[in-house]
Amino acid sequence: MSDLNRFRYTMESCNHCGQCKWILPHRMSGWDFAEVCPVHHHFGFDAYSGQGLVNIVREVMEGKLERTDELADMVHTCAACGACDVNCKSVRDMEVLETIYELRHDLAQAGHLPDSCRRMAENVSAGCDPFGVPLAERFSWLPGDFRDDPDSDTVLFAGCSASRDPGPVLAAIRILQAGGVPFRLLREEERCCGGALWRSGQQETAGDLIRGNAEAFRKAGIRTVITVCGECFGAFRSIYPRFVKPGFRTVHISQVAAGLIREGKLAFRQDARPLTVTYHDPCMLGRLSEEYVPWEGEIRSYGLHVPEKHWNRGEFGVYQEPRDVLSALPGITVREMTRRVEESWCCGYWTGQADPECAAATADERMREARSTDAEAIVSCCPFCRTALSGAGDPLPVVDLAELVAGRLA
Amino acid sequence: MSLPRAVYAELESVVGSRNISEKEYILAGNRAQTPEIPFPHRSADAIVLPGSTEQVAEIVRICNRHGVRYVGTVSGGIPTAYATEENTILIHFKRMNRILEINEKDRYAVVEPGVRHVQLYPEVRKRGLSYTAAAVGPGGSVLVNIACTGGDHHNQYGSSRPTRYLLGVEMVTPEGEILRTGSLEAGAGWFCPESAGPSLRGVVKGYSGNAGHIGIVTKCAIALDRCKGPAETRSEGVSPHSRIYMDGGCSRVYVFNYSSIQDVGRAMLALGESEVGATVQKYFYLPLSLMMTASANEFWEKWGRFREAFPMPLVVHLAPHSVRELEYEEKILFDVIRETGGVRLPRDLEKWWEEHMDYFMIVSRLQSVLRLGGSWLPIKTGGESVRHLCDIGDSISGFIHDFTDTGKIFDAPQNYQIIPMEYGHFASFELLFMWDRLDPNSFRYMQEFCTVSRETDLKNHAHSMTAGGYGKAGEALGRLYCNCHLWAGRIREAFDPSFTMDA
Repeated sequence: MSDLNRFRYTMESCNHCGQCKWILPHRMSGWDFAEVCPVHHHFGFDAYSGQGLVNIVREVMEGKLERTDELADMVHTCAACGACDVNCKSVRDMEVLETIYELRHDLAQAGHLPDSCRRMAENVSAGCDPFGVPLAERFSWLPGDFRDDPDSDTVLFAGCSASRDPGPVLAAIRILQAGGVPFRLLREEERCCGGALWRSGQQETAGDLIRGNAEAFRKAGIRTVITVCGECFGAFRSIYPRFVKPGFRTVHISQVAAGLIREGKLAFRQDARPLTVTYHDPCMLGRLSEEYVPWEGEIRSYGLHVPEKHWNRGEFGVYQEPRDVLSALPGITVREMTRRVEESWCCGYWTGQADPECAAATADERMREARSTDAEAIVSCCPFCRTALSGAGDPLPVVDLAELVAGRLA
Repeated sequence: MSLPRAVYAELESVVGSRNISEKEYILAGNRAQTPEIPFPHRSADAIVLPGSTEQVAEIVRICNRHGVRYVGTVSGGIPTAYATEENTILIHFKRMNRILEINEKDRYAVVEPGVRHVQLYPEVRKRGLSYTAAAVGPGGSVLVNIACTGGDHHNQYGSSRPTRYLLGVEMVTPEGEILRTGSLEAGAGWFCPESAGPSLRGVVKGYSGNAGHIGIVTKCAIALDRCKGPAETRSEGVSPHSRIYMDGGCSRVYVFNYSSIQDVGRAMLALGESEVGATVQKYFYLPLSLMMTASANEFWEKWGRFREAFPMPLVVHLAPHSVRELEYEEKILFDVIRETGGVRLPRDLEKWWEEHMDYFMIVSRLQSVLRLGGSWLPIKTGGESVRHLCDIGDSISGFIHDFTDTGKIFDAPQNYQIIPMEYGHFASFELLFMWDRLDPNSFRYMQEFCTVSRETDLKNHAHSMTAGGYGKAGEALGRLYCNCHLWAGRIREAFDPSFTMDA
């Protein structure tokens, strides 16, 4: 059951300092690209921000604000990208994003959530992935002659997006094969990671998927899960520990590639076309990918948490490895955007569940920032980012890191 | 209560339907009680987001026609940025966020209210310029700090108060007219705060910033200084352990500890006479300890060490324009420190500043002060001579123990700051304390502490600002006390008799 009261301390602590909306000083570069909250940027009202949403949760909890479908649509316009959370936690001990998640959970339990989110759960119940692809077709993209290592304790988790765009997973397979990494696919045993469902507030449905996957990993003796999708990576790290004690470690293909490059196990063509790129940090691979550590305790006077609480402040996301990989590719020049690493601007994909216009504006803004670097292409590590950014007006080519690497293998 | 339909429609016709809302969840975003204010905010009836001065003027005229109150707001970080009466709208300046001009030759910048320090500061620094960004955090509005609230910057030693950097102003009067002041009024540009006739700067700012001013400032020019230290900064790491450096060999931070505030004052004055240093400050060490730690638990773990290590730190940032000049300034500095009895802090503590040079630019970690729950109050804010403020600092230990030792408030005897400005010709003061909002008696304790503090100030011939305000100090002192607040009220009554403007 949802319990907004768990986040009362956060709700009562906000002083409206504005840090949830504005870039942190170590990334500041000027007037442009100084905002970090896509919905606040788009709508302008403070309600559309970490601060405003926390205020809204408080009024819902206190019975001052009614739970409605319209409120749910508004709450889901926020992509839950976590920029507000990281910024707030740079100076405060508050759980802004967890509070927003709990509001979504509360609204979903009361029957209020956008139709698109509701459909995700319905699709899962109907034996499909959240996007409506039947489980039987989940690996239809896999070449018939593909052979994996059925005895490996490492699984390459393809994810739901492979059904729509198998390129990044096929590229990941090439990288692993080139690097001599034994791995296997779960095929019919693989289900959606459950991350999107959990983040939409449908936590009970997500929990079923999560427990099912964890059990499938356990039965198959899986010790390492390699993901290609940033969303799956973040889900395994930051959501699974809420339901199960994961008996596996999660690594992203960018981390595997960086390791293989360090060990000299990947060789690249030297004649590849020179390309200037900028790197887009996916939220769930970056700031939202720290391992969730449950905390139950008491918040005493002056903020003392007893027992001591582990804080996820976005510091230990996967930021460096994708950059290391890009730096190692012959012919690739990297130009950084202002909003990068923990301050990355969200692609806006999940905003599209409630407000396609805001989602498009968010992607447009990211593309404008990418163009400001004079890059010829934008590289990312998440198929959802690729979908969102490719839909921006006048887009630069959006390239998946795994595909870029695989395409340049010798 | 909602606005009459006709009024809403009129406002909507000015700003467009997507820039006005009266939805409850939109209003909720701007009415929640904040931990430092012990009473709930009233809800506005609508929020409008104007995009231009002309739209602001039209909104004000509509409000006047229908007797609707209005409050202008940007970041919402101060108690007066909320509705206090029924039938009030918030005019939020999110969309008026342009930097209209940065004039490098005449050293000024022209901004709208929505421009934040984290946007303007790097723009001017790139050009080798700087300004006194008030210590409100990166998301604070430049215009509000300089034209309205007048908060002090923690690093104004070589400059002055932010309010003294106000140049030409464009504002909307309570009648809804657009007024331009200073050189702007004469069509001569933004560069000067004064023009023919009496100065209007006091009308814009009032005596105490937002508590006294009238009208809505929609654009203003602020004066810029040549920046001290390199224009380029370098950053490393990921939040919350990010670092910002000033490279180039001409930026150095030293921190000294003293056993007496009078000796600190002597050092400040001696350094000021030599015009050495970019920043000289006696900083409050409780906020400093919070800025140096990453969680409340870590703070409580280390507070004992901080308390012991630097109860009275004098922070000096040297940022001249050449290595030779730096050597000269260091020589003067160490002479002064020796003569005044300062002891240099351990290097590991001192190093924190050199890795957080944003502290000297936009005081960016200051919100860490709120980490202990957010219930805090800065009191005794005001300006006096360095010597007088040292006396005020000395007086605090005479009454604070009754509150700290009994747990009524959380503070420490030397936890106040003295920031010299104009090379020590003047200084600002602030005592910052916190209270436990989980304690139902905390509000009463806070009030008692403010009362005792104010009474002590009056005994010591100081008129610094403490909660309870000018009214209470005036009651205590009668005609001996400054009556600017009364005049500000009269002026406002004359210009805005129906009090449609509410902030």
